Amino acid sequence: MATPKEMMTTWDSIQFGAVLPSFEDPKNKVRSKFNSFNYKVADWRVEKPVFNRNLCIDCDFCWVFCPDSCFEVEEVVNKRGKKQAKIVGINYDLCKGCGVCVEVCPTPIKSLLMFSEFVDNDDALKQWPKKEDKKD
Amino acid sequence: MATKYELKSKEIWDGNTAASHALRQAQVDVVAAYPITPSTPIVQNYASFLADGYVDGEFVMVESEHSAMSACVGAAAAGGRVATATSSQGYALMAEVLYQASGMRLPIVMTVVNRALASPLNIHGDHGDMYLGRDAGWIHLIANNPQEAYDMTLCAFKVAEDKSVRLPVTTNQDGFLVSHTAQVVEPLDDDTAYKFIGDYTPLNPMLDTSNPATYGAQTEEEWHFEFKASQHKALMESPAVIDEVFAEFEKLTGRKYNRVESYKLEDADIALVVMGSAYETAMVAVDRAREQGIKVGLVMPRSFRPFPYNEMAEKLKNIKAVAALDRSCPMGAMGALYNEVSGALSANGQAAIMTNYIYGLGGRDTTAEHILEVIKETNENAKAGKRVTDLQGFINLRGPKLSFN
Amino acid sequence: MLQIRWHSRAGQGAVTGAKALADVMARTGKYVQAYSVYGAEKRGAPMSAYDKIDDKPILDHSKWMIPNYVLVIDPSLVFQEEIVDNTTDDTVFIVTSHMDKEDLISMAKHLEGRKVFVVDAIKISQEEIGRAIPNTPMLGAFMKVSEIIPFEDFLVSIEDILSKFPRKIIDGNLRAIKRAYEEVK
Repeated sequence: MATPKEMMTTWDSIQFGAVLPSFEDPKNKVRSKFNSFNYKVADWRVEKPVFNRNLCIDCDFCWVFCPDSCFEVEEVVNKRGKKQAKIVGINYDLCKGCGVCVEVCPTPIKSLLMFSEFVDNDDALKQWPKKEDKKD
Repeated sequence: MATKYELKSKEIWDGNTAASHALRQAQVDVVAAYPITPSTPIVQNYASFLADGYVDGEFVMVESEHSAMSACVGAAAAGGRVATATSSQGYALMAEVLYQASGMRLPIVMTVVNRALASPLNIHGDHGDMYLGRDAGWIHLIANNPQEAYDMTLCAFKVAEDKSVRLPVTTNQDGFLVSHTAQVVEPLDDDTAYKFIGDYTPLNPMLDTSNPATYGAQTEEEWHFEFKASQHKALMESPAVIDEVFAEFEKLTGRKYNRVESYKLEDADIALVVMGSAYETAMVAVDRAREQGIKVGLVMPRSFRPFPYNEMAEKLKNIKAVAALDRSCPMGAMGALYNEVSGALSANGQAAIMTNYIYGLGGRDTTAEHILEVIKETNENAKAGKRVTDLQGFINLRGPKLSFN
Repeated sequence: MLQIRWHSRAGQGAVTGAKALADVMARTGKYVQAYSVYGAEKRGAPMSAYDKIDDKPILDHSKWMIPNYVLVIDPSLVFQEEIVDNTTDDTVFIVTSHMDKEDLISMAKHLEGRKVFVVDAIKISQEEIGRAIPNTPMLGAFMKVSEIIPFEDFLVSIEDILSKFPRKIIDGNLRAIKRAYEEVK
């Protein structure tokens, strides 16, 4: 069966109305055992997205489109004093390498690109296309 | 703060007006509706009350009944007190979302004005829509006149929102025969009515962003059965709460309601089971039959779901023959009341002779005389000690006699 | 139980008239039922409305009745034989017409030998209210013929029932009711 054994419950102890909480402890953001966060799908991946912070414009498209909520964000205050979600990285435990984030990335040179699972992220960033490359 | 509505101690209201005033007094947060005959005036009146400042809430006009119930589910999940109204085709279009509402345990109140289902198209009253929704996991309360339409709607909120129930409730009244028939209604004043229902306490409201929750989670074979079983348990155990609410309502108003209503059953040999406005017409028929020496009584489930099996059997324990009158065409079976009552009797080792009658489809007039005929036929069965009439007959149907055995 | 049947065209106010009569009677402590038989009606289609008035709660929800009074508020419907359906010799007919009783009955044979009263509710409503809404004048005529409650009490109740309307309309209706009360014969 698809569901881990420890998640099985009996009729007298199930969540009321199939309403599942995201956190067992919302204050400390401790996720409930029913949260799909607990399903690790990363082993399936053969290609991975690599994130280039230097090119990112924080449009958050990748965060919106990612089907597995892999993008990690930080709350920051921008130049105009407004709160903004800053993309800081990818949770590789959740990413199954579908590549949607790369498709939707709007920067002239993509700030997300797919690399083989075995390429080191630092090496990947060194291989990133340059502006001059594009003009050729 | 909503303006108080000045009500007289006795109002001349039809069922729709009565239901809409009950919704107003409940101070519903969100009404999402797509008006349909004959329940249109409920929605229309509610919108007027809101526009005139008698309600603090939101009225959401949507593009279909499917959307209406969907918006109700959303608003209820967000944490509001929610109500809507519908009939017939609208009810049918809602069917999918009715199951969502009950599965998510959202205490939505829906004032249903019962109307026939097409085809052929018909705007008049029968119980086709109520029977369509009977397995949807809702509590279904029955009102026989405008006063009861008002009373049941007030009670519906209190039953639905009880911590141990938390299930959606429909209140049912017959299209036109109740919904458009003006009668004397004795309403409560606004404060008393609201105090009876009480403030709404949301459970897992989605607007509480610090406690995010998933509604309508996917459960598949690991949990679905358990969820449904626990939902069924809530419905099966809701009678205790319904009784409590009815008792409290009686204390407040002096009007007593029971999950099984009965009339002149104490010394009766035979009984009719009938729901809706025809129950009151049948009272007239019972009185006439008794003048002719036929000891007949009436029973009615005030709550069609949860069906009061044991109470029904208890009421009918000394009855020799029972006729169940269904206001819906069962299409290839006996009517639902026949089946439920037969089941209730057999589960309790009782063996009254059971027959089924179909009546009043599409608003076909059913008079006391028609019901008197049924009483006489049922009396024949009782006298013979076995069934000598047809198993399923039709009342006031034009053409050669139609019946099934 | 007092049973009243209204014959009207959809839009002439028979439903409102029936409900107003029920309201008036309920204020005297009676139990009432006011309903109408609806179809997929358009304005102008013939329709009927009903009042039941009794000293005890009215349980019978069937539409069928043997009317004590038949109120016809449209002049052309007088000629439809349906208006005598389910009536008895004691049934009182109050009909709207510009004709006098004898001329009317000579044309509407089904009313021969019946207890018929005539009032020109259309003309009255046009002149006093400004619109051909013959329901309230018919109530005035009904009060005169039936003597069911004192006319003064009726006027007090109906004024309160009409209170949601502008003063001009209330006054017009009251004048129409009083005129019909005087003119019915």
